Amino acid sequence: MNKEIKLNIYRFDPEKDKEGHFQEFSVPVKEGMVVLDAVHYVENNLDPSLAVRWNCKAARCGSCAAEINGMPKLMCKTRVDSIGDKISVTPMKAFPVVKDLVTDVSRNWEIAKKIPAFTPKPNLKEPWVIDEIDVSRSREFRNCIECFLCQDVCHVIREHDKNYIGPRFMVKAASLDMHPLDNIDRSKFLHEEGGAGYCNITKCCQSVCPEHIAITDNAIIPEKESIVDSYYDPLTMLFKKLRTKNGK
Amino acid sequence: MENKNSNVLGSIKKAIPELFEPNWRLWSFIAILIFAILALVVFPVKEYKGLIDPFYSPTILVLPVVGLFRLTCYAYRKDYYRNVFNHPQSCAADERGDSNSRGYSGETSLFAFNNLHRYLLYAGIILLPFFYYDFYVSVTYFGGFVLRFASVLILLNAILLTLWVFSCHAFRHVFAGGNVKCYDCSLNPKARKGFFNAQSMLNKRHEDWAFISLVVIILLDLYLRALAAGWPIDFRILQVL
Ligand code: SF4
Ligand code: SF4
Ligand code: FES
Repeated sequence: MNKEIKLNIYRFDPEKDKEGHFQEFSVPVKEGMVVLDAVHYVENNLDPSLAVRWNCKAARCGSCAAEINGMPKLMCKTRVDSIGDKISVTPMKAFPVVKDLVTDVSRNWEIAKKIPAFTPKPNLKEPWVIDEIDVSRSREFRNCIECFLCQDVCHVIREHDKNYIGPRFMVKAASLDMHPLDNIDRSKFLHEEGGAGYCNITKCCQSVCPEHIAITDNAIIPEKESIVDSYYDPLTMLFKKLRTKNGK
Repeated sequence: MENKNSNVLGSIKKAIPELFEPNWRLWSFIAILIFAILALVVFPVKEYKGLIDPFYSPTILVLPVVGLFRLTCYAYRKDYYRNVFNHPQSCAADERGDSNSRGYSGETSLFAFNNLHRYLLYAGIILLPFFYYDFYVSVTYFGGFVLRFASVLILLNAILLTLWVFSCHAFRHVFAGGNVKCYDCSLNPKARKGFFNAQSMLNKRHEDWAFISLVVIILLDLYLRALAAGWPIDFRILQVL
């Protein structure tokens, strides 16, 4: 391995620049170095004005999401020796840039507010008890660290303005829908407001998730199938109608 | 002249870069499709000494149903959205830089028909036993029990089709308990959840089953064609007459 890497960092300062540009830095490599270390080297030794967001440096907080050589990744989880000696680092394309590598992800909080909240079944006895058997399925989704890499990689969000809530929020909806004490079905929301039909299950989100959540297989496709139940499958629709008529 | 040619090539490359990419999965699908159509039209082989060609099981009339089942399968959908329609062009940056300008409706309009996948699954489940019946026919053709290499292929084909059908996402939702909110509330929670977990393991590999099962159908068909053409490769493995 070379002693030095060329780090190409995207720079944009809203107070000075009209548009962004790349700036190249040479960074000495240390054993076990991750991209975030290299970016910190620049910040500490070469240009203190560089803006970068991070917190845990342990792939737990999700703040250091960026695009490394074009692929959405966590800077703190990507080893320099795994990608060679020419590395480009850009902010997530799906979100507006605040400065340099820092993006404004607040639109995600707006989406989160729209998802129908947990609604417990009526007349539940306290304390609420759920069986182990019912915990395991949505446990996978609780690993989400809200890095929003999946939102960033999703072509529907990146390239087409369709008001699709995005994979992170399909995961959120699925984790609520799979809660044994929850009493509502979010397929109406996902179909009519969430734009779930725009997802074409091409699995880029699943391939970038640093928590290895099977986003498409375990959250999106099950939600799509629930939408089929409510909007496309005449038999289940009829069955559902009969059940509600009988007051069940 | 040469210059002009390379210009034409260059502009084709610009318009349809996929044609020049090592996209083996897309190319193998297209090759299989062309092969199957040619083979079925030009040189049909329905059966050779009790070995029934998979395209004719149980009758060629169900081929459109089987085709639609594959077409609406989540695994194939992913493949053609990505590789034929380039939505997305790649998971990383849009290298062609033209995705914004190309219209996109996802599965909301034309491709909404994919939502009826489960009905084709039902048809697929009904058709499955016929492939096992073909195995039975192939080993009893000479009277007694004769296991030929082709019978093994027929059985393998049936098993792979079974794995593909039962690993289906719609199967997971409708039959395996994917639509269940509370397993503990069902009659036999352990069995219910156990079945769901077992099916989920198969489901994880659904794309692989979809592809391998397709390749084996073609291999089996080719093998039967070779036999029908008189190639001396009709091996007997076991014989109890
Ligand atoms: S599978 Fe759906 S949500 Fe995930 S990246 Fe693809 S289109 Fe977006
Ligand atoms: S689902 Fe995965 S990629 Fe998406 S925000 Fe959560 S941890 Fe990040
Ligand atoms: S710094 Fe927390 S995930 Fe990278």
